[in-house]
Order: sequence, then structure tokens, then C-alpha cells
Amino acid sequence: MQQDKPLAGIRVVEHASGVSAAWAGRLLAAMGAEVIMVEPPALCPLRREAPLFETGGSALFQYVAADKFSVICDLDTGEGRDALAVLLDGAQILIDDTPLADREEWSLDQESVAKRHPELVHLSVLPFGAAGPKAGWKAGEINIVHAGGEGYLLPNGLSADMFPDRPPLKIAGHFAEMQGGVAAALAALAALWSGEGQFVDASVQDANVAVGAFALQRYGDGSIEHRHSRSFRYGGVLECRDGYVELLTLEERQWQGLVRLMENPEWALDEAMSDPARRSEQGDTINHAIRAWARHHDVDELVARAQDLGVPMARYNTPEQILSGKHETARGIFQDLEVPGTGTIKIQTAPFRFAKTGLPLGAAAPAPGAHQGLLDAGDEATARRATV
Amino acid sequence: MKPLSGIRIADFTVHAAGPFCTHMLSQLGAECIKIESAQRLDIFRKPHAVYGRAGPATFDQVASNKLSVRLNLKHPEGVALAKRLVARSDVAAESFRAGVIERLGLGYAALREVKPDIVMTSVSSCGQTGPDSHFAGYAPLFGAWGGLGHLSGYEDGPPVEMRHVMDHSVGMNAALATMAALHKRRHTGQGCHVDVAAREVASSLAGDAMTAASSGVEMRRTGNTDPQRAPHGLYATRDDDRWLSIAVSSDVEWSTLAGIIGRPDFAQDSRYSTSEARVAARQEVDALVADWAASVDADEAAEGLQEAGIAAHVSWRAGDIADDPHMIGRGAVVPVTETDGRRRMAVGFPACFSGSDAPGMERGTPGLGEHEEYVYGALLGLGRAEQTRLVDEKVIF
Repeated sequence: MQQDKPLAGIRVVEHASGVSAAWAGRLLAAMGAEVIMVEPPALCPLRREAPLFETGGSALFQYVAADKFSVICDLDTGEGRDALAVLLDGAQILIDDTPLADREEWSLDQESVAKRHPELVHLSVLPFGAAGPKAGWKAGEINIVHAGGEGYLLPNGLSADMFPDRPPLKIAGHFAEMQGGVAAALAALAALWSGEGQFVDASVQDANVAVGAFALQRYGDGSIEHRHSRSFRYGGVLECRDGYVELLTLEERQWQGLVRLMENPEWALDEAMSDPARRSEQGDTINHAIRAWARHHDVDELVARAQDLGVPMARYNTPEQILSGKHETARGIFQDLEVPGTGTIKIQTAPFRFAKTGLPLGAAAPAPGAHQGLLDAGDEATARRATV
Repeated sequence: MKPLSGIRIADFTVHAAGPFCTHMLSQLGAECIKIESAQRLDIFRKPHAVYGRAGPATFDQVASNKLSVRLNLKHPEGVALAKRLVARSDVAAESFRAGVIERLGLGYAALREVKPDIVMTSVSSCGQTGPDSHFAGYAPLFGAWGGLGHLSGYEDGPPVEMRHVMDHSVGMNAALATMAALHKRRHTGQGCHVDVAAREVASSLAGDAMTAASSGVEMRRTGNTDPQRAPHGLYATRDDDRWLSIAVSSDVEWSTLAGIIGRPDFAQDSRYSTSEARVAARQEVDALVADWAASVDADEAAEGLQEAGIAAHVSWRAGDIADDPHMIGRGAVVPVTETDGRRRMAVGFPACFSGSDAPGMERGTPGLGEHEEYVYGALLGLGRAEQTRLVDEKVIF
């Protein structure tokens, strides 16, 4: 029990095979909830999902299952379903991403769960939700980022300029699926707050449409966004001698700072560049000049000088630069965890904190069935072993 | 009753990330009072050169459903009034650069004096502590600092700039953390200061890559490919710029797809029959699918693939989303009324509740100061004469 964390005392049972539901559970675990993964005998498929360590284990799983508990439970058997029901008797939240068609067979449908556990918040996390004509549709990360509208708008800026004919692009990793997890966790905590045991139907597509809200807002304004035209008029990704930086000057004083950063080149001092509207019209000319200028500079030198001059500029950090970053280290956002067979790894504990110090993780991702005792230990039939 | 009915938020947030946090909580039923000033209008009340908007927005998603009051926080009486409002609130949310809210006299310590169990949520680019905490930033900078930008992009291309989804991801995480802090208050009687750093939200969304890199795995940009799946990507269809996303996750799915694309002979062909083989022959597999896709109707193809159990979806534009009966039926996309009375589609809350009233928007964007009579009069008990004096002295301003 982690009394000092905000969700201490809340027990969550997680039956997840995808990133969205697992990320919802992980965020609740980071905030102090006791999250018990219920794995099938074939184990949670995320244990095999890339990126993989050199030793073969899944870095993704280590990240999304940190600080959770694991029990193995065969829901194809009556004993397994009974054991899950007993586990749920002591829980406040169930997270489940079982496809709709399979829920009844495992007694995980809305009606069965509500009947046995009327006080429970039953959080369903599915790509397109549990209701509606597409409730049975499948989706991986790439499908969801495009169903949510953001995929069509990527890439923009330099990448779209360089490769205008290529297909649109997904964001790295599991960005869209994680959006679904964050929204689902929020919905579950809101339901818990209401005091009503209830079914919460979270949709990963809906979560992505929500975070992409400006596209719909602009559509209502009569503007149709496109990856080739939604770039900022100038600035954006700049290639330097040894890497990339992001530059964005929205305010006049920031532009003035940029001119000083470039050591007052003649073109930038021209009358035609003195007003923001006229600058916008000449975005291509400006980009041509600043892209040529940036190539003669090193990233760190440029970023340091930009910051002194109040110019919003950031280094495109590699994971290694983030892992060893001064700021990240000072805030302690990563925690070292020991993983048997892999060694010491770093895990970002959470994307938020509730005090000056971050939220410490209690343990690395559990071995399969590491907490089997949490199931009804008196019933031998429930003590299933992993089949893999 | 909506889930957060009875919760009140004093909302000092500006721009996108912070307001999205309180917008989510507002849709869940919290009463959200947006504290504004004519001296420094929020972004949607001004022209926006980047978006080519010549005047104020008639609808702003993240301001909708909120109540609006004017308050001059540079005036001592304005600060005092802000504290009175916080004293009647459960949550105070802000998104100024780190340190600004303290300088205004409304930092966590000050707010706790007037409301000991206040939940204060601060959203900033780099967090409330650390050597970079004073940096201001925008969504593309958050993505750059946090690694998402570096990791996203074509394999042979530059990093990709993150846009407003980055801001709103920060807001969604902030809403979740605020909700957790409210639970803590319920169970312990204690409030707390929630610190959400946008760049840490960005890195959290690529946390698997950070963890892999920490053990020495080199993480690079890989475009639309997946290290364990093929075919996996975006395929051009018969209509211009109408792309179809397909992700094949198993050998059974490949076998089905081989039939659909008219090459059943490839189902058991050892060059393609296993995931490993298909990943190794990714370009060939992609070319097979691309040949088929080039002549199909994207929407019909997506439906056909889904019926066959294969994950597929058209790369949707905003217009597809606005007209989608599935999302409209779920309340994920809802009609709203603009300040000028026109109706349009907007984004609702991304989950449905069986036991609480449906979350969502009941009002469009508020006029500046539209709800002062309720907030200053009914809630804080200021008489009409006092309110007039405060307006005349540019405290309510």
C-alpha cells in the first residue's frame, strides 16, 4: 500500500491485451492504485511486443506494466471465471479490452459484470468503443491515428516539403493508443468519483478525435487542413550541422530575437520583413534563408544563444539525450529498475507529479503470475500456470 | 447527474494545453469559471495570423461550456477577488510560465491559505522545477524536447513537428492527474499541487523507446513500418489523396488478405507466410498490397477488410469525422451553437457512462465576462454597487 500517492487504497483489475487499456492501468498504478493484471495462460501479448531489448524481453511491456501485479487466470474455465469474480469483489475498477464478441463467453459483458458487481466501475477500452456500428472493428496504432484525423495531417513542415508525394505518416510508437489510455483512465476516475457503479465505454478513436479537436474546429470555420498547407509559414524543423532544432516565432519580439540570433542579415532587415503579415506571405523565402543559415551551426550552440535572446528553439532530442538530460535528471523523471536477465533499465515514472518530487515506482513489471496468491489461494484449480 | 457535478474550478489557464484540461473536466460536469482580462485576451479572442483568422473565433472548443469573468490580476483587489473565488472552488488551474502565478500572488502556498484543501493544477512546458523550468514553449517544442519529434518521421527524412495534439495530450493528462488529486482529497482531506510538464507528457508517450534506449537499443525513425508486422502502412487508393491504413497482425490475417487482394497463392508461400518472413520481405509485401489498393474504393475496402477480421481504416479528414454516424451516435462528435448563433459540429467527451448523465457541452464559447452576475453576485455575494465600483476601477476588467 502506497499511502502517500493519490490513488492509494484503490484496487484495479486489468484484463488487457492492447496498449490503450494497459496504459490506462499503468497511469493508475503510477498514482498509487494497486493494479492487478489478469493474464491468460498464454500471457499478455504485450510481453512480446516491440521494442525489444537485446536480450529479447519487451521494453514496451516493462514500461506499461511497471508497478503492476500479475496473476494468471484461465477464463476459458469456470474456475478461472469464478476466480476473477472473487478478485473483482475486492476491486473498485475493472479495465477490459476484450473484443465485444468474446466478452459473454468470459462473463466480461456489461450485464454479467454489473449483475455480480453493481458497485464496480467497469471500464471498457476498445478502438471504436463498445457501442455503435463500428464497435466490432479492429485497429492497430496506425489505423487509429488515421481514424482520429491526425494521421492525415502528418507530416507537415520540412518533412512534407521534402517528400510531398509520400503517404501520410504515423506518430512514433503508440501515441494514439496511449491517448485512448489516458482518456479511459480519466473517465474511470470520474465514474468512481460519481459513486455510481457503472459501465464506462471508452473509445480510442474518440480520444484521438478529442486531442485533435482543432481540426474539427477549423473545419467548422470553413478551413480544411492538409499536411501540405498547415505548416507554420516559417520556422519549424531546421537541420543544423550535427542534428535538428525546432524554431517557432509567433510573437514579434521572438522574430526580432531571431534576427539578432542570425546576426542581422541584410534580407531580414529589409522593409518587406518588418510586418508579420508580409513575413507570412514570404514564408518560403524566409525558410530558404534560415534553413541555409542553420546548416552552418551546431545545435547546442544555436539553442543556447536562442534561449538567451528569447527565441523559442529546442533541440530535437534523441532518447539518449533525454535519458541523460540535465533538466530531466534534476526532476528525476526516470527511475532505474532492475530487470532479471536484462539488467538495469530506466523507466519514466509518470507524466505528472503531485509534489516537488516525482512519483516513485515500486517495482519493475511482474513476472507472469508473480502474485498468484492474490487469487483465491484456497482453490487449487485457479492456480494456473503459464503455458508458454 | 454528470460525474463531476458539484465540483467547481477556478480556471486561470490560457492558450491550448491548460484550457483543454479544464475543458475535459467541464464536460464531465464540473463548473468551470474562466478568469480572463480584456488586457490580455486569450488566443481565441484575438486574430490569429498563423491560422489566417482576421478576428475572434466564433467558437473555441476548449473555452466552450465554461463560464467567463473578467478579472485584472495585476490589481491587488483583483488578486484578492481571485482568492475569494478560489476559496469557493475545489480546483485552481493555471498554465502560465513557471513562477508567474507566484509573482501574481496566487501560488500554491497563497491559495492554500485561503482554501487549505485546494487542488492546484499547473500546466507548463518544462514543469515547476528544474533548470529549464523558465522556458516557454509551444507544442512543436514540447515534441522536440520530449523525443516524439526525433522518433517520428520517414526513415530517410528529418524529425516531424508535433502540433496541437501535443498540447491537448498535455491537457488530457492534466485532467487525469487533477481527477486523481480530487480522489486523494476525498480520502485524506488534503489538497496538493499537480505539476504537469508538457515535455514530460511528450516523453511519456514515447516511454517505451526511452526504456529500450536505456538498455542500449538504438531507436530510430521508422516511418509507417512496424518491426513485427507486415503489411503495415498507408496505401493509395483509386481516389486522389484517399489513403487506406492496413495493419496485418497474424499469419491468419495474411492468409485472408492474400485472398482479398487476389493472390491466394501467397497465403502459404514461404516467402510471406510468417510474420518474420513478411517483415523481411516488407517492400515486396507492401508492393503487393499497393497494387491491389490502387484500384479500390477506400471506404468499401476498409469495410470489407474489417468484415474479414483485418484492421483497416481510411485516413480520415475532419469532414469524415464531422459526418460520421458512429461517432455522432456516441456523442463523440456533437452539434454546438456558435456565439453568432450558427450551428456546427464539435468534439464531445471520449467516453460514455451507463450510470451518470452523458458528459458534453451545454454552451458554446462564452462572451468575455458573460457570467459575472452569477460569479461575482450570486457566488461571491458582491452587491451591484460594489461590482460597478470594481468595473470602474478596472479590477473587473
